[in-house]
Amino acid sequence: MKQEQESRERELSVEEAFAQLEETVSALEDPEISLEDAFARYQEGMELLKYCNASIDKVEKSVQAISEEGELYEF
Amino acid sequence: MQNVYSVSQVNHYIKNMFTQDFMLQAISVQGEASNVKYHSSGHIYFTLKDEKGTLACVMFAGNRSGLAFRMEEGQKLIVSGTVDVYERDGKYQLYARCIELSGGGELYEKFEKLKAELLEMGMFDAGYKQPIPRYIRTLGVVTAPTGAAVRDIIRITQRRNPYVQIVLFPAVVQGENAAPSIVQGIYALEQYGVDTIIVGRGGGSLEDLWAFNERIVAEAIFNCSVPIISAVGHETDTTIADLVADLRASTPSAAAELAVFDYDQFIENCRHYSKRCLRTMKSRIELSQSRLDKYRLMLEHKSPMGRVKEQKMHALSIEERMEAAMQSRLLDARHRMELCAQRLHGLSPLGKLKGGYGYVQTADGRSLTDIGQVKAGDLVTVHLENGRLTASVLETEPEQWENGGERLPYNAEANHSEG
Repeated sequence: MKQEQESRERELSVEEAFAQLEETVSALEDPEISLEDAFARYQEGMELLKYCNASIDKVEKSVQAISEEGELYEF
Repeated sequence: MQNVYSVSQVNHYIKNMFTQDFMLQAISVQGEASNVKYHSSGHIYFTLKDEKGTLACVMFAGNRSGLAFRMEEGQKLIVSGTVDVYERDGKYQLYARCIELSGGGELYEKFEKLKAELLEMGMFDAGYKQPIPRYIRTLGVVTAPTGAAVRDIIRITQRRNPYVQIVLFPAVVQGENAAPSIVQGIYALEQYGVDTIIVGRGGGSLEDLWAFNERIVAEAIFNCSVPIISAVGHETDTTIADLVADLRASTPSAAAELAVFDYDQFIENCRHYSKRCLRTMKSRIELSQSRLDKYRLMLEHKSPMGRVKEQKMHALSIEERMEAAMQSRLLDARHRMELCAQRLHGLSPLGKLKGGYGYVQTADGRSLTDIGQVKAGDLVTVHLENGRLTASVLETEPEQWENGGERLPYNAEANHSEG
């Protein structure tokens, strides 16, 4: 179950994560939401943010070139 | 012997043949301009050529209204006019009445034909366009490894997001090998697995850009599972590749802008969402807190403990009232007691003793009030103001007193009576 959830999260694109965030925050802003739900949503939002951030591989990249045979080399 | 003709006769004969030829009287010829000479007389002399031949042309000054631009070497032209013979030189030439740029001529025709065909097949349909992912990690680039296009793409990408990996397929983008090279690049990058591919090159003539109008390139772009942004030439050059691509960028720089998200903006978005989450959660907690406070107050107000407290207070006040009442009673009593004590003081037997009376007791300590209590010889004690004395009874004699009358007892030192 947990593994399934993790793999689902891994497949989530940043764009989708942002869309979910928007939804989560909107729900959180609904004055009708219960406190329990608010906590759950808040936690969810923070997880999504963490995910967004983590999904960016923050290492400066050098340009690679690919040969006809599909081999990479520094450009 | 055959007839012998003069040169001018022959030339005249040929000219007549040309003049009578319906087609040559109004013909449009396509070719490339060369040897263009603007004569001082206003006439323009030039040559039209293609791969296999040349055709001498002239536009007389009187027909200059049929030319709307400055003719230059190498331009692709469509020249309309009459093919006629110049008898003096025995040469034929095209007398131009109207000269237009052909826009690539044959190539242009090929372009229009393929465009119409692919349009018919639906390859330009919006329904087939793949959305360009907004947040990519890997960017594929199919373009020449040298030149402005690749430099622009790298520069813009690294400025917007240095964390995006660029994978370049160094392609041939001009000439005969260009189309297969571009196709190979698209396949290689699709196989490697990039998020978006930019296919393009800088501006040029229709021939320079021709590879991007080839059917195999169009098909490779159409069939590629990775979204492709085309960036061929300048804004004004539209190629088949542009039409079939998922997104068309006007320049390679613009393509990089479209493909690569701005990292700072991304961080800003994250921060914004984080703030909104925090703020909303905080206000929600505060709201709950204030509601809790409100209910606590209400509950405290309504609780039995409140009533108990109230009753305790009531009891306390009753107790205080009781105590106060009790105190005042006691004070009253004390006053009365004092009054009594003063009165009592006035009636004290000691006062009597001061007046010269004595108090007589029998030997066993009883008050002697009746002469029957003693007989002669008994001892009695007489108390006076400043002491007592013991006396012996000599005799007893009863005596009757008038009611209310006053009479001294006959034996003053031995008797005491209050009457």
